[in-house]
Amino acid sequence: MNINNANTISPETLRTEYVSPENCVFSKNENGFLAAEIKGKEYKRVILTRSLPLNFPSDYICISDIEKNELGIVEHMADFPSEQQALMNEELDQRYYCPVITKIEGIKEKMGHFYFDVMIGDFKKSFAVRDISKSIRQHGKAIDLIDIDGNRFRILDFEAIPSKSRRKLEPYLY
Amino acid sequence: MGKKKDKLSKPPKAEKGKFPKPLLRVLEEAGLATENLIYCCTGDMDNDACYCSAWLSFDDKGFYIALGDEEIVKTKRKSGKRIPEPKYTVSEIQSIPMEDIDSLEAERYVSTGRLILKKDGEQISLVRFSIGKIAQIENLIRAFNSYKNTGEAEIPASAEPEEKKCKKCGKPCPQGKDFCPKCNKKSSTAIRLFKFFGGYIPQIVAIIAIMLLGSAVTVFIPQISTRALFDDVLANPDGLAVAELIKALGVLVLSIFGIRFLNTILTVTQQYITGGIMPDVIYDIKVKIFNAMQRLSVNFYSSKQTGSLMERVIRDANNIYWFFVDGLPALVIDIATVIGVVVIMFVMSWKLSLITLAAMPILIVFLVLGDKLFRSLHHRAWLYNAKVSAMVSDNINGQRVIKAFSKENDEYDRFEKLSGEHMKAELKLSLTEATLFPILEIFVLGLSTVVLGAGGVMVAKGELSTGTLLSYIVYLEMLRGPFDFLSWVSNWWARCADSAQRVFEVCDAQPDITEKENAVSFDDLKGDIEINELEFEYEPARPVIKKLSLNVKAGDMLGIVGKTGAGKTTIANLIARLYDAKEGCVKIDGIDVRDLKLAELRRNIGLVSQDIYLFIGSIADNIRYAKPDATMDEVIAAAKAASAHDFIMKLPDAYETRVGAGGQKLSGGERQRISIARTIIQNPKILILDEATAAMDTETERNIQYSLTQLKEGRTTIAIAHRLSTLRDADYLAVIDDGKIIEYGTFSDLIKQKGEFYKQYKIQSEALKTIGIGVGIGGEMPEEDEHEHK
Repeated sequence: MNINNANTISPETLRTEYVSPENCVFSKNENGFLAAEIKGKEYKRVILTRSLPLNFPSDYICISDIEKNELGIVEHMADFPSEQQALMNEELDQRYYCPVITKIEGIKEKMGHFYFDVMIGDFKKSFAVRDISKSIRQHGKAIDLIDIDGNRFRILDFEAIPSKSRRKLEPYLY
Repeated sequence: MGKKKDKLSKPPKAEKGKFPKPLLRVLEEAGLATENLIYCCTGDMDNDACYCSAWLSFDDKGFYIALGDEEIVKTKRKSGKRIPEPKYTVSEIQSIPMEDIDSLEAERYVSTGRLILKKDGEQISLVRFSIGKIAQIENLIRAFNSYKNTGEAEIPASAEPEEKKCKKCGKPCPQGKDFCPKCNKKSSTAIRLFKFFGGYIPQIVAIIAIMLLGSAVTVFIPQISTRALFDDVLANPDGLAVAELIKALGVLVLSIFGIRFLNTILTVTQQYITGGIMPDVIYDIKVKIFNAMQRLSVNFYSSKQTGSLMERVIRDANNIYWFFVDGLPALVIDIATVIGVVVIMFVMSWKLSLITLAAMPILIVFLVLGDKLFRSLHHRAWLYNAKVSAMVSDNINGQRVIKAFSKENDEYDRFEKLSGEHMKAELKLSLTEATLFPILEIFVLGLSTVVLGAGGVMVAKGELSTGTLLSYIVYLEMLRGPFDFLSWVSNWWARCADSAQRVFEVCDAQPDITEKENAVSFDDLKGDIEINELEFEYEPARPVIKKLSLNVKAGDMLGIVGKTGAGKTTIANLIARLYDAKEGCVKIDGIDVRDLKLAELRRNIGLVSQDIYLFIGSIADNIRYAKPDATMDEVIAAAKAASAHDFIMKLPDAYETRVGAGGQKLSGGERQRISIARTIIQNPKILILDEATAAMDTETERNIQYSLTQLKEGRTTIAIAHRLSTLRDADYLAVIDDGKIIEYGTFSDLIKQKGEFYKQYKIQSEALKTIGIGVGIGGEMPEEDEHEHK
C-alpha cells in the first residue's frame, strides 16, 4: 500500500535518528546477546545491521529490536567509548562472520565448476563455486567467494595472502 | 562378483531425519542414549562459528548437541576396492532437558546462521552453522517445535535422510545434488555426448576410416615429394638420359598431384559426411534442452543458476557442434599423423629420431606451461571483454536515466577506465604471444639445425641419402602442427565438456511441480477454494506465507490487499500451483491441487498477472493464446470485454499488429488489456486478477472494472490490488501482512473494525480527493454507517 505508507510518513519518521554515547548505552544480557538502553528505554536484545558492510563497516550502524523496528543509527562507531565499540563489534562480527581464507591451495576447474582447496586459519576447507565471474565479489582489497550452497568466504586483503595463492585466483578477478 | 559384494556391503539407507548407524554407535559410546532419538540433523560449526562436526538431535527427554570431528578415510573392501567411509570422533555432548525449552528458532546472518533456544521470552544461542545448512536446521526446528506442541514430530516432506555424501570422495554433495560434481567423470559426459551420435554409426565409421586413410596419405606424401624426388629422380642413381629423367620427373609430379588430389577428396568427403550428421545432432540437443526447459517449474527460472538459459540453448550447443565438427576430426587426424610420422622417422633413421626424441620433453614442457599461461591470460582478457560488454548493455538500457541526470561524461569516464583495463589485458596477451612464439620457433629451428647437421654428417658418411635427410626434415616440420594442436585441444575439449555438462544439467533437472501418477480430474468444477494452514518460503528460513487459511465459495469474489511483499502474489501462485506449498494445502472443490491433473488445473484457472508478457506475434495470436481455435468473433468479443478493441482498431494493422520483442510498442495499460482479453477467451472457472489494472488510468480502469464485473459472473474470483477501488465488488476482503491474514470480512465489516483496511481506505480516499480525482472511492468519503456492503 504505497499511499498507506504515506500515512505513516511524517517529519518524525523521515528524520534519521542518530544515537550518541549520551543517549545510547550497549550492554550484554545474561544470555550473551547485545542489549541497549536508548533514550532511556531498555531493550533486552538489539540487532545491529551495517548500512555499508563492505566499505564502511564501522559507520552507519542501524540498531533495531528483534521485531526489526529501527531504533536508531550509530553514525560512527568511533564516537563511542572503546568498551562500547567492543560490544558492538562482537555483535557485528557474529552477524557478519565470514570464514577468512588465509591461503589458496588450489583451484581446479572441472565441468564448469571451480573447486577451491583453501586454508581457513589451520582448517583445510574445500568448496565448489559455479559461475565464477558472478561468485567472486571484489570490494577494495577484500574478496568474497560464494560457493554453490550460498556459503560466503572472504579474503580480507588480497595483497596480503601468499603470492602463490594470489596467482591462482588472479585470472578470475576483474 | 566384486561389484555385487560391494553392493551388498553398502550401509543400509538412512531414514529421514536419522543419523547413520556407524555414527549412532559412536554417539552411544560417547554416552548419548540414541535408541529413542526422534529427529537428527548435522551441523558444521560450534557456538563460536568454528568449523567442526555438530550432530543435533532430540528425543522425548531433551535436545542434544554433540560436537566432534568427521574424517573421510578410504577403507579397503574384500573386492580390493577402496571405499571412502566416515570416521567419527565425539569430543563434547550437551544435553538440554525438554522442560528447559519452549521452542527453537533459527536466525539467518550473512554467511552463517544461529540455532536459538527460547524459554520464557529469553533467547539462548545453541550452535552456529554455515548458511548452506539452514534448510536442514529449519527441518529440525519444525520437527522439534511440533513435537513440543503436539507430542507428534512433524517430519517435513523436504527432510533429507543423512547429508548426501559422494560415493567416490566421501565429501558432502552440494545442496539438492545427488552427485559430487568433482567426481562426475568427464568420461560419463563424453559417453552421454557420444550417445547423441548413436543413430549415425555407419557415418561415424566412414568418417574415422576416411580420416585414418587421409592421415596415411599425408604421412606418405614426403616419401614421394621429397625422398623419391631427390634420391630416385634428381640424384639420377640409374644414370638415365635427360629425356628419361624428365619422363620420370613427370610421373613423379603427377603422382604427387594425384596423392594430394586424393587427400583433398578424402577431406571433402569427411567434411560432407560430418556436415550431414552434425546439424541433426545439434538439432537433437537443442530440442532436448528446450523440451527440458518447458518441463521445469517457475522456480527453476527464477533461481540464480538459470540466468544463462539462452546461452545453454544456443552457445553451449554451438560449442559442442564446433568441437565435433572441427576439433574431434582434427584430433583423430593429428594423433594418427603423429604416430605415423614417428614410426616413419624411426624407420628412416633411428639415430636422428633419438636426437629428436631427446628434445621432445623440453618441447612438451614448453607447450604445457605455455598453454597454462595462455589459458590464464585468455581468461583474464575474456573477463574484461565480458565486463565491457555488460557495461555497454547497461549504458544502452539506461540511456534515459543517464540523460535525465546528465551523466554522459561520468559514464564515458567509467567506460574509458574499464576499456583501458581491457586493452591492458589484451596487450599483455599479445605481447606474451609475440615473445613466446618466436622462442618456440627458435627452439624448433635449433632442433631442425641439429638434425640437419647430424644428418649431413650421416649423408657425408654414406649412412643416409640426401632425399631421406630432406624428407626427415619435412617430417620433423610435420610434427609441429599436431603437437601445437594437441597442447591446446584439451582446453577445447574442456570447453565442450563444460557446455555439455550445462546442457545435461538442464536435461537432468527435476521439475519441482510434478503431476502425480494417479492425478484426478474435475467432474464438474464448481470453484470452491480452500486454503489450509498454508506455509511457503522461496528461501529456507525466510517464510513468505505463514500458516494462512482462507475459504472462497464458488462464484464469490475475494479481494486480497496488503503491503508490497506481504505475500499476495505468492498466494495466487500457490493456487495456480506455480509453486508447491511447504506445508498446508490449497484445495479446489475439496481436492488438493497437488492431486489434480496439472493441465486441467491450469485450464480452469485464469491468471492475469502484474507481469505482463506478450509473445512475438500478432495481437490476435496473443489473445487466442489459450484457445488457438478461437474464432475472430470470439477474439473481438474478448478484446471488447477487456476494453482493448478501441485502441487495437486505431493501430495501422489492427488485430494483425505484431507485438512482443521487435514489434509495436504498446503502453503498459494496453499490454495489460490484451492480457486480460487473453484470459477472458480462456473462460476459466477461477479467475485470479493480480494487480490487473495497476498500470491503467482511472477511466480505462473503470471500463475494465465493468468488464471484469461481467466476467466474474459464475466464476470464483480472487482479486489482488493496491488500489481499493478495484475491490468494491468483492464479497470478502482479506488483509495480508507478513504472510498472515490480519483482517478478514466484508467491506463494511472491515470499515467498522477501523483497523488496517479502514486506515488504507481513508488514506486512498483522501489522496484522491487531494489530487482532485473524485471524492473518495465510490464517490464518497468513508463513513462507517454509510458503507453497508452491496
